[in-house]
Amino acid sequence: MAAEEPRGAFSSAWRHQEMPTKPNYALKLTLEGHTEAVSSVKFSPDGEWLASSSADKVIIIWGAYDGNYEKTLYGHNLEISDVAWSSDSSCLVSASDDKTLKIWDVRSGKCLKTLKGHNDYVFCCNFNPASTLIVSGSFDESVKIWEVKTGKCLKTLTAHSDPVSAVHFNSTGSLIVSGSYDGLCRIWDAASGQCLKTLAVDDNLPVSFVKFSPNGKYILISTLDSTLKLWDYSRGRCLKTYSGHKNEKYCIFSNFSVTGGKWIVSGSEDNLVYIWSIQTKEIVQKLQGHTDVVIAAACHPTENIIASAALENDKTIKLWMSDY
Amino acid sequence: MAHRGGERDFQTSARRMGTSLLFQLSVHERELDLVFLDHSYAKPWSAHPDASSARPTRMLFVTPRRQQENTIESDVPIDVETVTSTPVPLYDNQKARSVMNECERHVIFARTDADAPPPPEDWEEHVNRTGWTVAQNKLFNKILKALQSDRLARLANEGACNEPVLRRVAVDKCARRVRQALASVSWDTKLTQWLHTTLVETLSLPMLAAYLDALQTLKGKIPTLIDRMLVSSNTKTGAAGAEALSLLLKRPWDPAVGVLSHNKPSKLPGSPLILIASSGPSSSVFPTSRRHRFWQSQLSCLGKVIPVATHLLNGGNGVGILQCLEHMIGGVRSKVLEVHSHFPHKPVILIGWNTGALVACHVSVMEYVTAVVCLGFPLLTVDGPRGDVDDPLLDMKTPVLFVIGQNSLQCHPEAMEDFREKIRAENSLVVVGGADDNLRISKAKKKSEGLTQSMVDRCIQDEIVDFLTGVLTRTEGHVGSEPRDQDAEKKKKPRDVSRRDLAFEIPERGSRPASPAAKLPASPSGSEDLSSVSSSPTSSPKTRVTTVPLAQKSSQLGSSQLLKRHMQRTEAVLSHKQAQVPISSEPTEEAEKEELRVQLKRHHPSSPLPASKASKRPKIKVSLISQGDVTGGAPEAAGGKPITMTLGQASAGTKELTGLLSTAKSNSSEGGVAASPAPAGVSSSTSPTALHTLQSRLVATSPGSSLPGATSASSLLQGLSFSLQDISGKSSGLPPNSPSGLAAQATSVKLPTPMQSLGAITTGTSTLVRTIPVATTLSSLGTTPGGKPTAIHQLLTNGGLAKLASSLPGLAQISNQASGLKVPTTITLTLRGQPSRITTLSPMASGPAGPEEPTSQALASSSQRLPPAP
Repeated sequence: MAAEEPRGAFSSAWRHQEMPTKPNYALKLTLEGHTEAVSSVKFSPDGEWLASSSADKVIIIWGAYDGNYEKTLYGHNLEISDVAWSSDSSCLVSASDDKTLKIWDVRSGKCLKTLKGHNDYVFCCNFNPASTLIVSGSFDESVKIWEVKTGKCLKTLTAHSDPVSAVHFNSTGSLIVSGSYDGLCRIWDAASGQCLKTLAVDDNLPVSFVKFSPNGKYILISTLDSTLKLWDYSRGRCLKTYSGHKNEKYCIFSNFSVTGGKWIVSGSEDNLVYIWSIQTKEIVQKLQGHTDVVIAAACHPTENIIASAALENDKTIKLWMSDY
Repeated sequence: MAHRGGERDFQTSARRMGTSLLFQLSVHERELDLVFLDHSYAKPWSAHPDASSARPTRMLFVTPRRQQENTIESDVPIDVETVTSTPVPLYDNQKARSVMNECERHVIFARTDADAPPPPEDWEEHVNRTGWTVAQNKLFNKILKALQSDRLARLANEGACNEPVLRRVAVDKCARRVRQALASVSWDTKLTQWLHTTLVETLSLPMLAAYLDALQTLKGKIPTLIDRMLVSSNTKTGAAGAEALSLLLKRPWDPAVGVLSHNKPSKLPGSPLILIASSGPSSSVFPTSRRHRFWQSQLSCLGKVIPVATHLLNGGNGVGILQCLEHMIGGVRSKVLEVHSHFPHKPVILIGWNTGALVACHVSVMEYVTAVVCLGFPLLTVDGPRGDVDDPLLDMKTPVLFVIGQNSLQCHPEAMEDFREKIRAENSLVVVGGADDNLRISKAKKKSEGLTQSMVDRCIQDEIVDFLTGVLTRTEGHVGSEPRDQDAEKKKKPRDVSRRDLAFEIPERGSRPASPAAKLPASPSGSEDLSSVSSSPTSSPKTRVTTVPLAQKSSQLGSSQLLKRHMQRTEAVLSHKQAQVPISSEPTEEAEKEELRVQLKRHHPSSPLPASKASKRPKIKVSLISQGDVTGGAPEAAGGKPITMTLGQASAGTKELTGLLSTAKSNSSEGGVAASPAPAGVSSSTSPTALHTLQSRLVATSPGSSLPGATSASSLLQGLSFSLQDISGKSSGLPPNSPSGLAAQATSVKLPTPMQSLGAITTGTSTLVRTIPVATTLSSLGTTPGGKPTAIHQLLTNGGLAKLASSLPGLAQISNQASGLKVPTTITLTLRGQPSRITTLSPMASGPAGPEEPTSQALASSSQRLPPAP
């Protein structure tokens, strides 16, 4: 039934009933280039590029469709844990164990700013939708908000008691969500730095990843008990629980896939990529191919493409594509 | 009563739905409106079954409570993509953004040496702090921190749909922090001046803009301190820079600036006096809060505001709270009495904040006032909520409006409802969502709803206007319907009596006590004989002219002093008002038609045209047109009806050769018709217009009629002073067709053009005193427009009243041009007549007092006669 639907067509008018029940992602490309474990992969918002960060201290930019190597960004002194695109796809920010973040101009490959201020490994980072601010989380248990233009830290949010594993802006940029190993998810008012809400995950399980849904209505929380939960944070309720994969040790990226069917995509410590249906919570596909823990899975903004990256026994990035 | 109230509500809501942008923003209970749209007798679900005096609560910006969803949403479809559309801001976004960024645009003005390159982005590292004292470092860091969080807020809010409001909130916060920092050094002059200079020199442009924004905000609050702080930099930057800076800092920007200036508040009908009861003894040490002062100025847009301040006895020494309260109440009470004695017929409205609201309520129990408005009513006391059986407030009979904040500490909406059920007085309640005791909304509310305090204040003001308009027009409508007494009269008079003879009316009115308490226009007997003379409905039985308490009466303050006092002001006000010509053409048309009619009528008595022979059988009927006749129609119908009726009447009259004497009063009575329909359903925006038009017409009348007299105003006056019969007789005796008569006609025609007419007639005791601009106009008109009047004349003779009506505007135009005269905006005519006449004219007097007339176009003749039929 879904076959007639145009591939990659993006329409919010689609309803769940009309959606395909299962995707058919298949391995298209394997990108080799990193010499150490890959830590993060992200598609650029314009869909042209794929950026990957790695423990080999570099960021590599790839063509998103053909997987061609584009360039390498050098600058960090230690492993890089995370990388994020600005909304206009012109800049990158990277979080490194050298306690700094760097803002990169993708075109020139130069580092524009180095954001200093964290006292420990910087573990996660993101731009706000207007790309005027950067939020970063660190092992020093703080979340910092930086001004992109000046590279100055405008606000430090100290409300976690363990390393911060993930930070993310919502779609309007008014809220920041942060997740930490202390088992809390906090929602912050981006403008004032006030904590608006705290979501305590069951049993204070370490939160390994958190992000807003594309419309900012929900947040997806990963905990180290191998579960993903979809929360309606305004009402403080968990709506859906996704499980079946393995996630007990690493902070594995997960994602909303909305280009075809509505899926949740996540890596797993059993070297697979898992895809769930958002609505039914069923596993609709597992992607096999990596030879180590799949630490990151990213979804292309407009096409049915998934990029996945694995740790040091693998060091590769794989691109998967689906008809729907 | 409920019925009328319903109508009013429907009317206001209909009006506001159509016109008020702000209304659309506020979260009103729309079903209320729907109910009223359905049937005039329908009641909203929230109406109190056993407390009919308590009108349904109105909610301003109260967020409806979200429904509790009990269903387990295991299979509720989850949509992670669709973004809920953001509400359109209530203000002009583009304009708001432009004012929002003015500091950024003009930041360069603040820099001391504009030639030097602006500090780099990493200016902070370059700040040379050597030589700074500890205090300086501390202060600088505090300011820096404030500016930094402001920066964060700016960046985070960038591109948000209600960015201007968010920015405003952020700037306010930043200003607060800067103020705190400066207060922490006690606004030490040296330190603050140093700080300002240093900041201007070192801050990067974006930060400097943020700093200026904060300064701008603070300048509005603490101008002298800020001025002192800026002195040094001003000397450095030079005059130009200083001037630019002071211009920039003049006033804090407001996102809602465009909306508010486009929707100006309108004056209340009947030009009431608004007494503001202070909420505490005033003292120089604690000046009234800025908010109260602001509201005082807001209220002055509605009517004349008289703040009542009470001073501490003995400098506050040894004065107990009770004594103090008594003193305050006594102060307000004596002021009310004083106002009553000075302006016996003006409605008095008491407004108070918090304790002042209580004072106002208590005074209303003791003295007669038209309405009470309680802002931030303190319902809760240490002994629990008010409204116990022995609470004197329960005896209130004055219509009262409570405006309370949803989050008020001294009040609670639900307790308020209980209280309202117990009050006998007609009362309304407005709950302002998220507002405190002083009706200030919280920051969170501003953010979530995209509001500013100025917008909320305007909405509150609109609610007050709605309420007061209803009360005022109603009291005007029922002359006898003083809430205090004369219930029977209320029932009888206005409605049932379809026609009343003058003779009947005079004694009745005369018998009324003239005490200030009997505030309603117990119009002195004399007034009727002139003013209430009206065209006879004989011709068409259907057009009943009913005697009615004139709507104007309440507004005819009658008192000549008042008029005199206001005369000068009138002109200014008028011109101001003229700018706001009613959008809908209806009122204007109506006014024109009516005016036409008036002119016609007037014309005949003064200078009977050949065709319209002098009344052979002068039949004078004195009657007032009752609003009752008109009420009940659809808004337009109500507005239109009176006109058509009168027109029909007039023409009929012509045919029947009935000499109709219609005096100013008749006009006024029609004014009553036109104006009073407000309750009946004419949109209230039109009703005041109509009323004023009438009033102005009335006013204008006298000059016109005086001209026909071909001699002087004095003759006119004499004519006025004649008994009705006399008038009729005299009018017929007046020289027919005299050029001056025509001229008068022209004048009257001409005046109707918008903006031109307005006269104030003051009646006194002796004879006519003076006509100011009129004199010139009249005389010149008398000669110049000679040709034009013929057109009118022809029309008249042809008997095409309707024709005339339609052509009138044109004529007015023509005559205007022909005369080449600049018609005076204001015609002030002071009449001194016998005391008996006072009231007659007083309706006119109200013309100037209620200077709204956007369409003050009409002229009316005081002594009018319908053209006798052939």
